[in-house]
Amino acid sequence: MLNTNMNALGIIFPNSYDVLVPDLVNVRMMASIPFASRYRLIDFILSSMSHCDIDNVCVMANNNYHSLMDHLGSGREWDLVRKNGGLNIFPPFAEKGNKPYSGRVDALASLLGFLRNQKEKYVVITDTNIVMNFDFNTMIKSHIESGADVTVAYNEQELPESLVQSKSNDKGFYYTFGIENGRITKIYVNPRETGVQNFSMNIYLLERELLIDLINTAFVRGQAYFERDVLLPNLNKLNVQAYKYDGYVARITNLKSYFDENMKLLDDYNLDSLFSGFPIYTKIRDDTPTRYIEGAKVQNIMVADGCLIEGEVENSILFRGVKIAKGAKVKNCILMQGTVVEAGANIEYLIADKNVLITAGKEMKGTDTFPIYIGKSNTI
Amino acid sequence: MAKEMIAMLLAGGQGSRLYALTEKLAKPAVPFGGKYRIIDFPLSNCVNSGIDTVGILTQYQPLVLNEYIGNGQPWDLDRLYGGVHVLPPYQKASGSDWYKGTANAIYQNISFIERYDPQYVIILSGDQICKQDYNDFLQFHKEKNAEFSVAVMEVPWEEASRFGLMVADDDDRITEFQEKPKEPKSNLASMGIYIFNWDILKKYLSEDEADSGSENDFGKNIIPNLLRDGRKMYAYHFNGYWKDVGTISSLWEANMEVLDPEHSGIDLFDENWKIYSRNSGMTGHKINAGAIVENSMITDGCRIKGTVKHSVLFAGVKVEKDAVVEDAVVMGGTVIKAGAVVKHCIIAENVTIGENAIVGAMPTETENGVATVGTGITIGDGATVGPKAMIRDDVKGGEVQC
Repeated sequence: MLNTNMNALGIIFPNSYDVLVPDLVNVRMMASIPFASRYRLIDFILSSMSHCDIDNVCVMANNNYHSLMDHLGSGREWDLVRKNGGLNIFPPFAEKGNKPYSGRVDALASLLGFLRNQKEKYVVITDTNIVMNFDFNTMIKSHIESGADVTVAYNEQELPESLVQSKSNDKGFYYTFGIENGRITKIYVNPRETGVQNFSMNIYLLERELLIDLINTAFVRGQAYFERDVLLPNLNKLNVQAYKYDGYVARITNLKSYFDENMKLLDDYNLDSLFSGFPIYTKIRDDTPTRYIEGAKVQNIMVADGCLIEGEVENSILFRGVKIAKGAKVKNCILMQGTVVEAGANIEYLIADKNVLITAGKEMKGTDTFPIYIGKSNTI
Repeated sequence: MAKEMIAMLLAGGQGSRLYALTEKLAKPAVPFGGKYRIIDFPLSNCVNSGIDTVGILTQYQPLVLNEYIGNGQPWDLDRLYGGVHVLPPYQKASGSDWYKGTANAIYQNISFIERYDPQYVIILSGDQICKQDYNDFLQFHKEKNAEFSVAVMEVPWEEASRFGLMVADDDDRITEFQEKPKEPKSNLASMGIYIFNWDILKKYLSEDEADSGSENDFGKNIIPNLLRDGRKMYAYHFNGYWKDVGTISSLWEANMEVLDPEHSGIDLFDENWKIYSRNSGMTGHKINAGAIVENSMITDGCRIKGTVKHSVLFAGVKVEKDAVVEDAVVMGGTVIKAGAVVKHCIIAENVTIGENAIVGAMPTETENGVATVGTGITIGDGATVGPKAMIRDDVKGGEVQC
């Protein structure tokens, strides 16, 4: 690269916040949850990285990662097949006595050998539960200009109810920041504050050498969490800067928010906000265009390629290869890849996972506040 | 290591009868069926038939085609040994030549073919819409112990004189070849797809090249020479969908036939014989409240707010409010603004149709032309483009072009 200062390596945690959406990750992980008719959540962060020339990317897969492996392949679709760097998937190293990663520190400790041998000056660390079209280069620039040791991205929003109402910490950790003149002075772990907060997006930027030092120290002390155990106690010693992100953000924090964030994209303003930046890449399936038969009635829908639509569809998101038979009625639904709705079936507020079959004449209705979820490959 | 059969795909044609559509690109690169280009069909047929080495012979306007083919990855033709290779004419120690004819194009690439030492070579044409199993064709060629086979289609007798015809006996052995005859003796039209034993092809290409009076064409020279020498030549009957999309009306028609796979026989939706293409990478298409979409094919990236009936829309087409699109083929990135009416026509890529403009018209008894608008054209607000029009330059607002 021309400017070596802009040289960064990406580390993605695809299993973060799996516990928030137990249904959707039953057969997969957060990163491979289908979203917006033809993508998986990880596509957004991977495409963003690829566009910012972050072409050395480590995916720290912890469990349930077959779907992710299948989706990512060699990384070609994201232009991440490289001789130097490219896409690397790091599942836990299966050794006697070894367990899945217990936290970021643990996972990063297993990556230290790799990290020491890389050339990039900076490291970007992210999760996959936030859908966005993120410009890492602006963040790197701001990091350099502020002279920070660590820069953390956040956005201003209210905390999702699903997080605030959680009675225990078993749903994982989330963070908000107290910020003074751009510097993070306080990190609140699992706060229950109402109103707009400086809500962490868990995107961290720091120099590779510093990360290696921090992880080394934390690992020796048996610490598990990067934010709670590494950043928080060091706020006095390290210059931790906050980077405010103003772009479109869709956070998946439970099944309801998954439903809502999909549906929000039926509004052209939101759709344009999310997709007007870099194109988002995904695995190619070589589908045909979608075919609408005579008599099909459709209103306010987002549809991927490869669908066959003969019935009535309204306010819905259809993924690739969905079939809606004649006389079927689909309203306010998310139908993932390969779902078939047979003649005369009538469904509302339904999230059908991949390859679900709704047989002829069946009626099934959830509600706005409680959409029904149907697991992968089930027949109704 | 020798390959059993490799394919040579003739993609140098200008496609001059497609006028505005082929001004900047070769005919095989013309978009088709919502997300494909014509060349996707022979390429996908090759891969689905197990052929992993394809030479693409280009000459006319190869830029778009070259970029589209790239390393061949979308067709699974990025191989260590073989794969897809674009073969333009090149300079040799003893001078250089454009491809003088179809046979000369192959002749100039004998050394490419010899790298793979094939037993058979299949010659394909890059301007046809057809799903065909070349492996089945090869089995026929082997069973007949043929030296040359040609794929043929039965055509109605009254249309036979428009084609190159193969006259064959009961065993399908070819006895005579008639090029667009006034009085046809056969209704077996050549599809321009040939399988040769490589040694025979090489021999006849070399002899043809030495003949200074030859036009270096398969139909005019090579096939008559094979017949003259009594070679073992057979006609392989193909009865699936086949369409030469060399004219505006046949290209439009073939697109419309894609909308009706149950009757037309061209089924792009068949999972067992997928047609591969380079992907647009756009998000899913969006149909707004108030839009009407019927009997149409819509591709990723489209935004529909108006009415779309019996039409094929390629990736990223925008149809604004109160616009009407009917019986139309609208290629990628085109914007049809509010109130515009677009009927019975082909609109090329990245065209802008202004507000309340009218392009084309539904056919009547006296007029059934397919209006055509070339790549990147802007049709001004309120302009009218008649059903016979072939638009190569921008049309100003309010102007009328027939």
